[in-house]
Amino acid sequence: MPLLEVKNLDKKFGPFYALKHVSLTIEPGEVHALVGENGAGKSTLIKIVTGVYKPDGGAIEWQGRPVIISSPKHARELGINVIHQERQLVPSLTGLENVYLGLPYLQFPFGLGVRWKAMRERAEKLKRELGMDVPLDRPAQDLSPPERTLLEILRAMMMDCRLLFLDEPTAALTDKETEMLFRLIGRLKSQGTSIIYVSHRLDEVLRLSDRITVLRNGTLAGTLPREQADRETLVRLMTNQEARAPERKGDRERHGAPVVLRARGVATADGKVKNAGLEVRKGEIVGLFGLAGAGRTELLEAIYGVRQKTAGDVWLEGQPATHLTPKQAIRRGMVLVPEDRRSHALVMGMTIRENMTLPVLSRFSNGVTIRGKRERAAVSDWMAAMKVKATGTEQTVGELSGGNQQKVVFAKALMSGPVVLLCDEPTQAVDVMTREDIHRLLRTQAEKGCGVVFVSSDLQEVLEIADRIVVMHEGETIAELPNEGLTTEKVLKICYDHRKGGKTGHAAGR
Amino acid sequence: MQQEGRVTRAGALNAGKLMRTYGTVLAGILIVIAFGLLSPESFATWENVINISRQISLLVIIALGATLVTAVGEFDLSVGAMASLGGVIAAQMAVSGMPIWLCMTAPLLIAFVIGYLNGWIVTRFRVLSFITTMAMGTVLGGLTFWLTGGSTVFEHIPDAFRRLGQSDWLGIPLLSVIMIVLTVLFWFVMSHTPFGRRLYAIGGNETASRMAGVNVSWNKNMAFALCAVLAALTGVLMASRLGSAHPTSGGGLFLPAYAAVFLGMTAFKEGVPNIWGTFVGAAIIGILANGLTILEVPTFAQDIITGCIVVAAVILQRLGRGER
Repeated sequence: MPLLEVKNLDKKFGPFYALKHVSLTIEPGEVHALVGENGAGKSTLIKIVTGVYKPDGGAIEWQGRPVIISSPKHARELGINVIHQERQLVPSLTGLENVYLGLPYLQFPFGLGVRWKAMRERAEKLKRELGMDVPLDRPAQDLSPPERTLLEILRAMMMDCRLLFLDEPTAALTDKETEMLFRLIGRLKSQGTSIIYVSHRLDEVLRLSDRITVLRNGTLAGTLPREQADRETLVRLMTNQEARAPERKGDRERHGAPVVLRARGVATADGKVKNAGLEVRKGEIVGLFGLAGAGRTELLEAIYGVRQKTAGDVWLEGQPATHLTPKQAIRRGMVLVPEDRRSHALVMGMTIRENMTLPVLSRFSNGVTIRGKRERAAVSDWMAAMKVKATGTEQTVGELSGGNQQKVVFAKALMSGPVVLLCDEPTQAVDVMTREDIHRLLRTQAEKGCGVVFVSSDLQEVLEIADRIVVMHEGETIAELPNEGLTTEKVLKICYDHRKGGKTGHAAGR
Repeated sequence: MQQEGRVTRAGALNAGKLMRTYGTVLAGILIVIAFGLLSPESFATWENVINISRQISLLVIIALGATLVTAVGEFDLSVGAMASLGGVIAAQMAVSGMPIWLCMTAPLLIAFVIGYLNGWIVTRFRVLSFITTMAMGTVLGGLTFWLTGGSTVFEHIPDAFRRLGQSDWLGIPLLSVIMIVLTVLFWFVMSHTPFGRRLYAIGGNETASRMAGVNVSWNKNMAFALCAVLAALTGVLMASRLGSAHPTSGGGLFLPAYAAVFLGMTAFKEGVPNIWGTFVGAAIIGILANGLTILEVPTFAQDIITGCIVVAAVILQRLGRGER
């Protein structure tokens, strides 16, 4: 009898399917890998099985009985736990306190104090059984990344855990630390705990798993036993072979055009970007692609001057532009459309007018006051040009739909008359119409002589719109390809083939 | 059908919105009418109107500064101490025989530097403004005591020093005139200049403002600096009005100033600090104090009533928004 059986699961967001008829079985004591491109539906599947989302269709059976998992708490009671990519620990609490977070404390009769000693003994015992080496008396903030991961696994195992999701557990780990984690996974498996292992690192997947499930665009692309799987097969399953990228026309050849933006050897203080560079020519759309965590957003932010650089140089129209503030960047013709509309791009409580003119206020000022009439006229024009649906220039942006908000963001960026336009996931969470509008807008801007950098997690979209593609992997730009005859398969293969330090020896098996 | 439903909802929304924007003003008017009916012979007189305008002038001026800092999403807890220090410096300079214009302006320059320092510590080192300005207030309090030895400065203050705080212009106290001029000036700055717009943008979303090329640090520093200048001016005017400067005289203005700002956030612009709102807030607090005194309500009861009104106004606005 399988531990978990998921049948024909559907999940819709608005009109779009995040998951469509996905079925999956997990056997007891199995390590089951879940792979797929960004947005293939891995996170959605995890969230449904752990009770965060309610499915729109399909059924779930747990140990042979149909269940409706109503909340994360319910999932934990059943024995389903997740170790997220981001650590879920309270930094100032000790390891022991973190382990018991959300668990009932052992108490003396009549609530006369907490039995810390008994609690510690229970945790230490489990720690020994699992062969973990993690200190319980130090605050979580003093622990190393792998120790934090272990601590979370320990917490998950404190309750009777039958199924453990590991979401990109090795992203922050060194090779040695990864080995430690793998040994622990082996031990959990031998105790009968099933593991669903989500990772972009195919060699780890091929080494660890008993079976591998591939998702593509929210649908099940296939489930393979490890013996039948190899890197080529998996990449082929992940990419949709039927969908051919429309060919970019030769008339967009821009080899002769001057370079408007050049970045070289960029590294950031937080290590998210290590050695990245790109070149954008006048009138060109450069697609920047990478798997989640590749450092695309961070590279744009470093170029724009909102993220601290530790190395690298930037030139704007041939002039040095390494140490810019956003204010100087805008003045020199470079503007960023940030990924997170709500927190990075708009002041939600202000009007459309106030938001749009914020970067170029001095242009509407006679030195002392703002010229209200001119400001309103300019904003009206832009609203008409962008087809913003609103009651007028004085509507609060917080009241607009996501697509219309994004149009305001673009109008705001274009008002400064940029020569370089950096767009970070500009079509995320907008409707199809707006998406088309934005694509058209980017092409128009390029034709007007603007250099555009376009970031999207949707590789298909990048291939549709870009003239050239720069691929990032773990903070480095690893390839630069003209968009001629490129397919999602080719680009993804580059991403997956590129391991840290070019090491591929892991794939040899256990 | 659907269309109709939407129209009705929009209508209800407008009535609700009207209450949320002007409810506080309406409450102020009701308070005035109530006092007028209860005590027509002493409250509802021209003399008392003039009187109230003088009584609230200092509160309005110090609260204007607090409005700027609140607009950028920060706190300045040192305004009271800054006012005390400003008054003491001005009085001591006057006693030592310096020209009156210098006595009045030197404290403002000093305050500008201190306020800018407040801002710099907050923006440069990312220290919470709550902590920074509380510590700064303590430092300023210490400085004031050091300068005065803890006693009131009142001997040998020249008559000319009292002129600003005690004389009238066309029958209106100069203090009231200064209050009106500054209120109009800062209303203009906040709603019709790029500087004011940027302050509101920072308060609304600091990250988005930075992304849009706003120099967040500089604008915040200036808000703190102007706030300190207005606080010091309040202290100077108070010393001029009283003809003396006490080392803790400004402390009593700190809480009412923020009460005025928070009351003001419930008027005109929903939940956003604004100049006319602050003015109305200070006026309500001043009118309450005046009317309740006339009705011979003890001071402690006045404080209780004022405090309750601030909380009630904010709760009512929250409820109004919740209905939407």
